[in-house]
Amino acid sequence: MATDGESVDVDLHEENGQTTKEPKSKKHDSGTADLEKVTDYVEEAEISSQSIGDVMKAVSDQQKLEVAEKQVKEKELTKVKINKDDVDIIVNEMEISRTVAEKTLRKHKGNLVEALVALTD
Amino acid sequence: MPSINPLPPKENALFKRILKCYEQKQYKSGLKFAKQILTNVKFAEHGETLAMKGLTLNCLGRKEEAYDYVRRGLRNDLKSHVCWHVYGLLQRSDRKYEEAIKCYRHALKWDKDNLQILRDLSLLQIQMRDLEGYKDTRYQLLVLRPGQRASWIGYAMSYHLLKDYTMALRILDEFRKTQSVKTYDYEHSELLMYQNFVMREAGMYKEALEFLNENDEQLLDRLSVQEIKAEILLKLNRREEAAKIAQALTDRNPENWAYYKYLEDALQLDNVEERCKIYSEKEKKFPRATAPKRLPLTFTTGDRFRRLTDTFLRTAIRKGVPPLFVTMRPLYTDPAKVKIIEELALSYVKNLKETDYFDANCDTSEEKEPATALLWTYYYLAQHYDYLSQTQKALEYVDAALEHTPLLIELYVLKAKIKRHAGDINEGVKLMDEAQSLDTADRYINSKCGKYMLRANLIQEAAEMCSKFTREGVSAMENLNEMQCMWFQLECASSYQRLGKWGEALKKCHEIDRHFSEIIEDQFDFHTYCMRKMTLRAYVELLQLEDKLRSHPFYVRAAHIAIEIYLHLHDHPWTPESEQNNDLDSENLTPAELRKLKRKQKKKERKAEEEREKQLAEQKKREQQNKKSQDNDLDGPKEEELIPDELAKTDNPLEGAIKFLKPLQLLSPNLVQTHVVAYEIYSRKGKLLLMLQSIKRGYQIDKDDPQLHTCFIKFLLHVKKVGELSEGVKTVIEQEVGKLTDNKPISRINQEFLDRNHNSLPHLFAGGQMMYLIDPSTRELAIQLATTVSSNVKGVTRLVCIDVLDSLCKGDFGMCEREATDYQAQCHNIFPYATAFMIPDNNPTEPMLSNGSAS
Repeated sequence: MATDGESVDVDLHEENGQTTKEPKSKKHDSGTADLEKVTDYVEEAEISSQSIGDVMKAVSDQQKLEVAEKQVKEKELTKVKINKDDVDIIVNEMEISRTVAEKTLRKHKGNLVEALVALTD
Repeated sequence: MPSINPLPPKENALFKRILKCYEQKQYKSGLKFAKQILTNVKFAEHGETLAMKGLTLNCLGRKEEAYDYVRRGLRNDLKSHVCWHVYGLLQRSDRKYEEAIKCYRHALKWDKDNLQILRDLSLLQIQMRDLEGYKDTRYQLLVLRPGQRASWIGYAMSYHLLKDYTMALRILDEFRKTQSVKTYDYEHSELLMYQNFVMREAGMYKEALEFLNENDEQLLDRLSVQEIKAEILLKLNRREEAAKIAQALTDRNPENWAYYKYLEDALQLDNVEERCKIYSEKEKKFPRATAPKRLPLTFTTGDRFRRLTDTFLRTAIRKGVPPLFVTMRPLYTDPAKVKIIEELALSYVKNLKETDYFDANCDTSEEKEPATALLWTYYYLAQHYDYLSQTQKALEYVDAALEHTPLLIELYVLKAKIKRHAGDINEGVKLMDEAQSLDTADRYINSKCGKYMLRANLIQEAAEMCSKFTREGVSAMENLNEMQCMWFQLECASSYQRLGKWGEALKKCHEIDRHFSEIIEDQFDFHTYCMRKMTLRAYVELLQLEDKLRSHPFYVRAAHIAIEIYLHLHDHPWTPESEQNNDLDSENLTPAELRKLKRKQKKKERKAEEEREKQLAEQKKREQQNKKSQDNDLDGPKEEELIPDELAKTDNPLEGAIKFLKPLQLLSPNLVQTHVVAYEIYSRKGKLLLMLQSIKRGYQIDKDDPQLHTCFIKFLLHVKKVGELSEGVKTVIEQEVGKLTDNKPISRINQEFLDRNHNSLPHLFAGGQMMYLIDPSTRELAIQLATTVSSNVKGVTRLVCIDVLDSLCKGDFGMCEREATDYQAQCHNIFPYATAFMIPDNNPTEPMLSNGSAS
């Protein structure tokens, strides 16, 4: 697919600043190449705005918040103690990956029966 | 330059030229420059150059060397982002996306702000639906390039896809603040429409409506705006405004049924009279429109229905509208309506024959009806009776029509269909072939004929038939595969399955599966394209479609065939002889026919063999040509060739079945069938909890599904017999089975099932089977239940009866040859045309094809 005609962007050949060429698929090269040239300039057009800074800040705050929340959640889950044999049973019976098995077991506070019932739903 | 081994200026210049050559697809020259660097002993092991050489070789189709070089390059320079990036690109070209993502991540470790790598990574992540990862990558891109439109939209979209609508909308809002709008800016309009789409997905209807009004001037897709407004207003229960828009929409396109639905929903009239008024007004306004005439037929009844239907049918018959029956068919759920329609059509026949008018006592000063009116009435009635399974009458009318106009293709098609529905596919093929011969340039008829041939297991003939329209120089089979012609491949698979050619059938199923993979693959092009073109609504819809692509009926059917075959192969492992001793299609053939068919098949096989050799030779020739042409278009990795015998020889058929099952479980959990086959697979693996899972899931959809019921009973019997279980598993099963059965005994569960569904043959059949399985002493009663043909019982169809007969012959009820023969005779009476119930030797008809074209 969209592999061959693509640029490997390396420092070496960035003489004229960054290449902004998007990877293109071969299929579209032929028919729509001309059309793309006509409209591609939009991509280059820089957004002229004063507010970018504020927005970026809002956005990045949100991003940080999310990362923090995620970590808290994961930490809580890892605190649950689970029995390795139980995990083995789940993996064997339900034919799922170990990670999924462990996660489900943790979600059910290590209770094997509850985890299995949930998995058969 | 993070590389541990920087090149001196001269070589560096050469390296840059390699990159340029790669981008411009001048691979040959690229290799030349690489050679120039590598021949210098000092740089013979230069990592990045080796990697680039590998990547270039990959583009020339020299895959193995490519991997060698890229890996060698990477080993020599593990800290180069170039090497990792190249390795990622190589993996990606082989569609190993997971691996490619890992490579990109490594590359980013050494150059974390490399835009190109970040972009490539984000593409892979959205392709793989790693939405969290996608969001993070899009964030980095936004930080690096806040000035670019795509950065913002991509980031907003990542939240949208994660269903965090508030954040998505906030980003879009902020982004729009930075935009200056030109007049007639279609891309901006699309962006607004996309934002509106997000709002509606978030359930913010009021805001969405205000948004549309505020930005009205900039929205250029006026039709969508109107449609969306109508929908939102209805959701907000602002019906008057909705009605206004719906009126405008119906005026714009009086044939769109959905617009009338808006209108009705907005006006909410419960009175038939008033509802009819809407439509008669529209009819006055648009006298040539069909929708306002057809739609009232759905909700009117009695005399009003008769009057409206009368007018509707007359107009269509006078004009000669072949798909008239298709338009009427949805009304056939109501027996009273069926009766009225039948009476009307019969009266037309009578009157047209006598007077050339639709009415008996009509105004003779008016123009007479055209001669074709009678023909189309016959045509309609034949379809009408066919739909009601009254084969005899259907044939009478289609024959009358043929007498009237002997060369009308539609009539042959219809007659073929009637024969097929009646269970005589060979007659069907004969007729379809005749239809086809009347207009060999009509691809629709050609395809129909091919399909009928496949139904009759005439695969070679079908391929020949279709070859009239496929590309020359390639076999039809191959070309139809290339064209992803899935209906054909599905019918082929069924055909091979009936013939017991498991390998061939599996090959077709796998081909269909690959088409679906291919379609998912093709998404890749759109990730960049749609962002750039701002076709965001369509793009998100595409993503949503691709997410559930394998819920498509083509996949579902192919998967079921494949699973059935894999289950069979598990129960009866493949041997070279097993293909020959195939249990042939019992649906359509008598033993006498079977023998003939087998003889024919032998001949065909020989022919096919020759054909194959010819093709092989051709293919070799083509390959050589391909090699010659330097610029060969390598479209993804070469797929492993599907070899029928190898597929059938599989040493792990259940795993094969599970591969087809997984998408069904994920995407078609609402089909009971999915869970039935899941049960069949896991019961053979002896996985109790997965069996339980299938049953629980099936139960949620339809407790009374006959097939699921048999699974359930078998499961209960199995659980009783099974020995030692681990503590947890045992508790789960006891607990869950208790919930499902209220701890009733098995026989009682079966009896209750029978009592609940005493008037349906499929249920009686399943219940009977299980009754015998639970307690063999109930054999007589069980058989009696399964072989019911009483007219009080629903579902006595040809196909169900064939299943019952099969089951009797297979020994599901013990030995019962006599019962089977009796039953067959009984069925023969009910379905006189069905070859499956013909008593052997009474029926010497040979499937003869009338015009030699397909023999």
